Amino acid sequence: MFLPESMSRIVIVGANSCIDETIEALYDLESVHLIDHTIDADEGFTLGTPRPYSPKVAERMLKVRSMEKDLGINKHTKTQPISESEIRSQISSDSVESIEVEVRALIDRRNDLNQRITELNAKKKSLELLARLPIDLDMYSGYKSISSVVGTVEKDPTQALGDLGESFVSMDKKNGSIVAVFVTNEDKPKAQNILSEFGFTEIAVPEGKGSVNTELTKVDADLASALKEQEVVQKETEVLFEKHKHFLRATDEALTVDCEKGTLPIRIASTKYSFVIDAWVPTNEKDNVKSTLESKIPAIFVEIEEDRSRKQADTEAQEERFQTVPTKMRHGNITKLFEYPTKMMSIPKYNEVDPTVLISIFLPLFFGFMVGDCGYAIPFIILGAYGLKYAKNPDWRAIATVLFFGGIWAFIFGFFFFGEALGMHFVGPQGESVTYTWAYLLHLDHLEEFFESFLIHGHGVGKIDSAFVGMLLRLSVYVGVVHLAIGYSVGLYNKVVQHGFKHGFLEKGGPLLIFIGVVVVGYALGFSLIMKQYEMDEIIPFLGVAIAFIAAGAVLVMKSEGAMSILIETVDAFGNILSYTRLVAIGMSKAGMALAFNYIAIGMIMGISPDPAVTSDVSIIMVIIGLLLFSVLHLMIWTLAILSGGLHALRLQLVEFMIKFYEGEGTEFNPLKFKHIKTISDKNVKEA
Amino acid sequence: MVDTGLGLIAVGAGIAVGLAGIGTGMAQKDIGAAAVGAITEDSKMLGKALMFMVLPETIVIFGLVIAILACFVLPGM
Repeated sequence: MFLPESMSRIVIVGANSCIDETIEALYDLESVHLIDHTIDADEGFTLGTPRPYSPKVAERMLKVRSMEKDLGINKHTKTQPISESEIRSQISSDSVESIEVEVRALIDRRNDLNQRITELNAKKKSLELLARLPIDLDMYSGYKSISSVVGTVEKDPTQALGDLGESFVSMDKKNGSIVAVFVTNEDKPKAQNILSEFGFTEIAVPEGKGSVNTELTKVDADLASALKEQEVVQKETEVLFEKHKHFLRATDEALTVDCEKGTLPIRIASTKYSFVIDAWVPTNEKDNVKSTLESKIPAIFVEIEEDRSRKQADTEAQEERFQTVPTKMRHGNITKLFEYPTKMMSIPKYNEVDPTVLISIFLPLFFGFMVGDCGYAIPFIILGAYGLKYAKNPDWRAIATVLFFGGIWAFIFGFFFFGEALGMHFVGPQGESVTYTWAYLLHLDHLEEFFESFLIHGHGVGKIDSAFVGMLLRLSVYVGVVHLAIGYSVGLYNKVVQHGFKHGFLEKGGPLLIFIGVVVVGYALGFSLIMKQYEMDEIIPFLGVAIAFIAAGAVLVMKSEGAMSILIETVDAFGNILSYTRLVAIGMSKAGMALAFNYIAIGMIMGISPDPAVTSDVSIIMVIIGLLLFSVLHLMIWTLAILSGGLHALRLQLVEFMIKFYEGEGTEFNPLKFKHIKTISDKNVKEA
Repeated sequence: MVDTGLGLIAVGAGIAVGLAGIGTGMAQKDIGAAAVGAITEDSKMLGKALMFMVLPETIVIFGLVIAILACFVLPGM
């Protein structure tokens, strides 16, 4: 449960004639993690070559992907899965090619149309400019000795052009100014030179006859018909999208796997007649893998090379390519949900404790303690349950997990420990202060008897009540000590597993001993200086024990990491323990906000006095306004609770806790497998 | 009659939270700028970036703890 699954290394040797069956069998097993062969790793072996079918598969995949892109189909498109055998029969009956003809024809039409519309738009723009000049289109060209220069300008060039030729200018700052100059052929460069000083940009005069306006009407008509046609094509695209999306997505998935299978030989060692596959399989499946492969395929032999131990020395004794053992995390349905925070750091190594189980205990617990309020807990549980049921995205699922389980803890703490909902106690003394209780607000007198039976002081722990603050701070420190002690112990355990007890203790025992010493010092000083429960001379035995632990730890740390680390470890232990006071501090900050907001909404807006002796004059309109404000303000605290509660709970895991033992940087166990998302495996079809 | 000692404790608590808050702010300023840059490059960094953002909040929590001790524990001594 804590260490990742035990792995065994196998070697599969077979004749090249049965490589296709072997690849199929490996994919069916879904528990073989391939070790990539490196060139020159073994004498006489080379990398294999792709299977003969793989160019065809790659070509088809390219076609499918390009069609998907053209039709706007992507991985978020909702499609119905199709059974694998049906997809395969369709692929082999050239469905991809026939669909491609259909799609390609439409896409070509769409592209042509888009180009035509762009051209027409450009022409229309030129014509609109030319329409402002009193010249017909056919008069711009067709002369022997006269040329026309037409274009846009920024300033009026009439004066500068002088009597060079005849010029027509229409100035318009908003839509652009146009000039048309008619000069003799020899003067054309001269005219262009002059014009260039006025920000001249030449435009091509569209061909045509008659007045510009007639031509413009014609272009408008063409454009309208083109746009209409574009709409038709768009509709046809949508029809094709609907018609082929299921097939294309499923084919994409099937072809991707086929492509992977086809190129698999280049990841393994082969000779002219045989191939050799090195692979990792989970130890408890090695016999199954061996017997399945050998019974299915006659010309193949499977050798179980080793069951890899967790010892670092055993790993280092191996060749480099066999040193990295893939990590297969072992989790049930619930702890699996908490893999996300672990993976956020890194994948655990093969020979270290996978912290996911510990995170799944403490993360929701801390979150729940920081929220500690029934009123916020219930929406958290509902939202979390909804997210777990419907969310697909791993980020959202991780958040929903914390909200759901954290919400349950928040409810438990809120109900049984703090006795609070929305920042107000259920029951309690109602006096001249600014606090309210639910029993007082809703006139529920029988609540008292119910809650008094199990809540501390009859009304639960007040988060910002001076009677409880000291207790809460101590509690959070104790939680920190326990959590960190687990962290240090796991660190020690990891090293013991990797290097044996002696080496493990020498490396990780020091910090643990220093930590114990620091805890004892903290206990003695806290109870004598702050709590005044011990006299100074009474704490001397404690200090003696603490110094003994710290000294022993210091010796070990100095040997393993050097003298500087002693100081770092000691300060770290103090700082880390105090860091857990955030459990209370964040709860208090939210309770403080809730107290203020409740007084604003209930006391100031609704006008209900917290003092039962004062009769309050309450108007229904103010109650409605007060309730609205109450909801908005509490929604704000609730949102802040997700951010601060969630992040700080996570941070305590990732920073304070995991740094004590976690190394990570493992490789995830990634077996050869057909991941069915848009297709249905034939096995499932048969079962159904 | 105003109790000067109690007033001084309140001032001390305020200074503790305030200065610690400034310290946290200074640390978060740089992390925040870098985090926004990282998220712009790759939105998958959001989780990690948020994690780094809350790292310096330990400082202000220490300040808050001192303030709490000052407000609630000192007057009783």
